[in-house]
Amino acid sequence: MSDPDDPAESDAVETRPPATDSGATHTDTPDAAPSVGTSASTIEELDEELVEETVGELRRLDPKVRLYWVASRLLGGLIAAVVVAVFFQFAGPEFGLVETPGDLPFGFAQRTVVVGVAAFLLFGGLAVLHAVLYYRSWRYEVREDSLYLTRGVLTRVQTVAPYVRVQHIDARRGPVERILGLSTLVVYTAGSRGADVTVPGLTDDRADELQQALKRLAIESEEEDAV
Amino acid sequence: MSDGASDPPEDSAGTADADQTADPGATAEDTTGEEAVTDDVVDDTTEREVVANDTPADGTSGEPVGGGPRKLHILTIPYRLVQQGAGIVVFLFFIGVPGLTGALGAEGGILGVLAVLGIAAAFVGYFVAYYKRYEYELTADTFDIRSGVFSRREREIPLRRIQNVDISQSVTQRVLGIASVGLETAGGGETEAQLQYVGEDEADRLQSEVSRLRRTSDATAGGAPEGETVEPAAETVFEITQRELGVLALVSTDFRVVSLVFFAGSIFGPSFFEELEPVFFGPETVLGVLFGPIAAILSIIAIGIFAGAVSAARYYGFTLNRTDEELRYERGLLQKYSGTIPLSKVQTLSVRENVLARRLGYAALYIETAGHVASAGESGGSQSAVPLAERDRVERLTRSIEDAPFDEFERPPKRARERYAVRYSLVVLAVTTLLYLASMATDLLGYWYLPLLGLLLVPVAAHLKWKHRGYYLGEDHVVTRNGFWSRTTKIVPYHRVQTTVSSETVFQRRRDLGTVVVDTAGSRSIMGDDPQAVDFDIGTVEEIRETVPDRLYEALRERKRSRSLDRLQPESGGPEEFDAGSRTDPPAD
Repeated sequence: MSDPDDPAESDAVETRPPATDSGATHTDTPDAAPSVGTSASTIEELDEELVEETVGELRRLDPKVRLYWVASRLLGGLIAAVVVAVFFQFAGPEFGLVETPGDLPFGFAQRTVVVGVAAFLLFGGLAVLHAVLYYRSWRYEVREDSLYLTRGVLTRVQTVAPYVRVQHIDARRGPVERILGLSTLVVYTAGSRGADVTVPGLTDDRADELQQALKRLAIESEEEDAV
Repeated sequence: MSDGASDPPEDSAGTADADQTADPGATAEDTTGEEAVTDDVVDDTTEREVVANDTPADGTSGEPVGGGPRKLHILTIPYRLVQQGAGIVVFLFFIGVPGLTGALGAEGGILGVLAVLGIAAAFVGYFVAYYKRYEYELTADTFDIRSGVFSRREREIPLRRIQNVDISQSVTQRVLGIASVGLETAGGGETEAQLQYVGEDEADRLQSEVSRLRRTSDATAGGAPEGETVEPAAETVFEITQRELGVLALVSTDFRVVSLVFFAGSIFGPSFFEELEPVFFGPETVLGVLFGPIAAILSIIAIGIFAGAVSAARYYGFTLNRTDEELRYERGLLQKYSGTIPLSKVQTLSVRENVLARRLGYAALYIETAGHVASAGESGGSQSAVPLAERDRVERLTRSIEDAPFDEFERPPKRARERYAVRYSLVVLAVTTLLYLASMATDLLGYWYLPLLGLLLVPVAAHLKWKHRGYYLGEDHVVTRNGFWSRTTKIVPYHRVQTTVSSETVFQRRRDLGTVVVDTAGSRSIMGDDPQAVDFDIGTVEEIRETVPDRLYEALRERKRSRSLDRLQPESGGPEEFDAGSRTDPPAD
């Protein structure tokens, strides 16, 4: 599944001039985190630094997340294609479609197989298209006092999650995500839409960084409140 | 089957819940239970420490409140046996025995009778064991339950986490003098503890004791002077009048259902009853022509009377009492309900007026807490504080809880109406198409084009939809309003906001419109009924989305400040203070 979508890189660093050196944070290279760590002497300082360089930049997801989305949707496409093929085989003649005499195992006709493959290609194509467009629409921003997400192909959705409301943060790695070296960050709030605050497609290091930073920011926002 | 049998899964769900909410960042110390869902996590050790300090403060009784563990009411055994076991045994007796007799002859019949007797004995044994094993205890700080026949369960619920205490009684239960008591906390969707059943007096005692103890432990935790456990004066803030009950019965019919019945009757009726005509009437009788509409109208009246009677009986004698920090309601003619709503746990207030109530000048008030109260026959898991009352009474009551204006609104831009017009036209066309196809297929539907008349109503409907939408950003609250048939005004204090979410569908984007949802921890919002500003200009939408979280921070800071002032001068605990100031977010460690 190679994707023809190259402009990804061109607007990778877009909008808002980054407050700090964006090269270190945005790259997908796994040595981003260690390079941050070198100047920090204590964990506290490391955290501070993470927070500082994370805040105030509209970011994109890792491009590999498209593969993840395509992969997870292809399974659904496959099931749908099989359903279509079976339907065609058995119900097709009833609806005046051409007779499909079977010469394959289980009495399936070659025409049915063609229909199934076509359906799969169609669904697969849609999955790829959606993944590409969805990736293009995704941005997230770690702000001073809230996490901001925007995404959506047909319906655009923007979420603002204030740090005071963060209950806990999970990093999830599914099987496909693990193969691709990706993580999904789930930020829980007490609201009924808690699960809405989900950032997929982060490299493992980036996810750790972000999790630390958000945790830090959540705690800070509480402290500030306590004054 | 029986409650008891479902114990183990319920149990595991409970623990899973606790684990899930266990939040490393949460801080327990000074939480007074406001951030309900989170605060659920306070671990027992902390609680116990508080208990230790707390006991002397409990002025009235030094020993464990209520004198040790208690049992359920003895009538629970026969009642539950009859309620849950009898049906099954009877079923087996009438289906199982004849079946076995048929299959195996007389011996089979005897076998069947023995089996039924065995099962009946098992039921009796189970419920007796359930009763014997069930123990609950109210301590100064927690409510403990030990139960379970096959797998044992011990549950401790910190009193401060309890959102509501509800008592419900069906007619039979009233005759027997027993009641079911439900304790709600914010965690999970289920009732945390359901005592089935205790005596009436015991139920009342539990309700008031939980309130009293919660107050005591709050006062101590909040640094208020000890020993001020005087029973606060309860003031009746609302009592439903006969007239209001009548109006309630009148308007509680869902008019969408009625119009649907009417619509269906007028479309299907004539052609359907044409088929019947030879049986009932001569083809040309006036009655025959009118039969469809008359049947429709009669069914409307029947539905109306039934719905009206149900809600009149349900809300008969509705009374709302208010103390400093909680509301307590009582209602019911046949089934009796009563419950408490702590004001400090209020998430959202909703004022609802359906189209008829609005015309008559009446409204209903719902109070959402983070607890879940579906069990008491409430619709949608929120508490109806006032089922129906004159609008200005509702307004006064609402303002006494959250002082927000709810008659000033920003309306969506007029171009939003175009959307609704398009939407309704499409619906009308779709219905017509379906009817057309159906009439092709069956020949039964003569007037398939009738719905097209609806196109005339589309502009009106679009305008009405638009007219009743609105939002308002107040000083301390965000207020939204939606709905024509049943208009809902939602008041959310800024400090209750969890997240804000804006969205624009493809169709909204074509007109530069968008929707903002203000999410709270209220239970009602699970129903997709969140406070939301729909179809506003995209700029307005962004502004709301960004402003509300900012105001949330401001409000939290404000509350911190007022609380620390409270601490310095603890006597100042007026009702308003309790509403706004005394419970706030936990400070960080």
